[in-house]
Amino acid sequence: MNAMEKAAWTELSVSVVAVALATALTPWLGSRATSAFALMALVMLGYFFIRPRGNRVVIDERDREIAARATSIGVGTAWMMVFVVLALATTWASYSGAHAVSTGFLNWLIWMQFAVCFGVRGLATVVMYRRQQHAA
Amino acid sequence: MPRKKEPTLRNCIRDLRSANSGMTQQELADRVGVTRQTIVALEGQAYTPSLTLALRIARTFKKSAEQVFQLDE
Repeated sequence: MNAMEKAAWTELSVSVVAVALATALTPWLGSRATSAFALMALVMLGYFFIRPRGNRVVIDERDREIAARATSIGVGTAWMMVFVVLALATTWASYSGAHAVSTGFLNWLIWMQFAVCFGVRGLATVVMYRRQQHAA
Repeated sequence: MPRKKEPTLRNCIRDLRSANSGMTQQELADRVGVTRQTIVALEGQAYTPSLTLALRIARTFKKSAEQVFQLDE
C-alpha cells in the first residue's frame, strides 16, 4: 500500500471515529460532546507515513494529483454541508419564531464540517487509489 | 449530443522492462523518480503520466516518447 494511501486511511478512520463518538455522546453530554472532536488531532499520525526515507521517493506526481483532487472534493463537500445546514437552520429559526440559532449547534456544525472535510478527503483518496489498482 | 470518448494513452513499459535485462519496477521507479506503485499504475494503463515523466521513461529506455506511448483513439 502506498504511503499516501496509508495516510488517507488514517484520516478516514480518525474522522469516522470522531464523528461516531461525538454523535454517540450527545444524548448524555449535550454540546460538550463536541470535545470528542479533539480526536481529530490524531489525523497528524498520517504524516508519519509520508516522512522522508533516504533517497527513495515517497510522494510523486500521481500522489500529488490524487491529493489535490481529494482535497478539492473534501473541502467542496464540507462547504456545501455547512451552506445547506446553515440555510436550513436559519430558515427554520426564522419561520418557527425562535429567531435565533444556538451557539451550541453552531459549535457542533463547525466541528462536524471539519471532520467531514477530512473524512471525505480520506475516502476520495482511498477510492482513487483503489480504482487505479483495479484497472491494473 | 453524444460525447466523444476520451482517448487513452497506451504504453509498452512492461515489454521494455523485460527486454531491458529484466529491469524491476522498483529500479525503473528509482531511475525516473516516482514510486513503484506509479509504475504499476502506468503498466496497467490506469494512469496518464505528465509529459516530464513520459520523457524520462522514454529516455531511460533510449527510445522516443512515441515509441513508448501511443494515443489510442
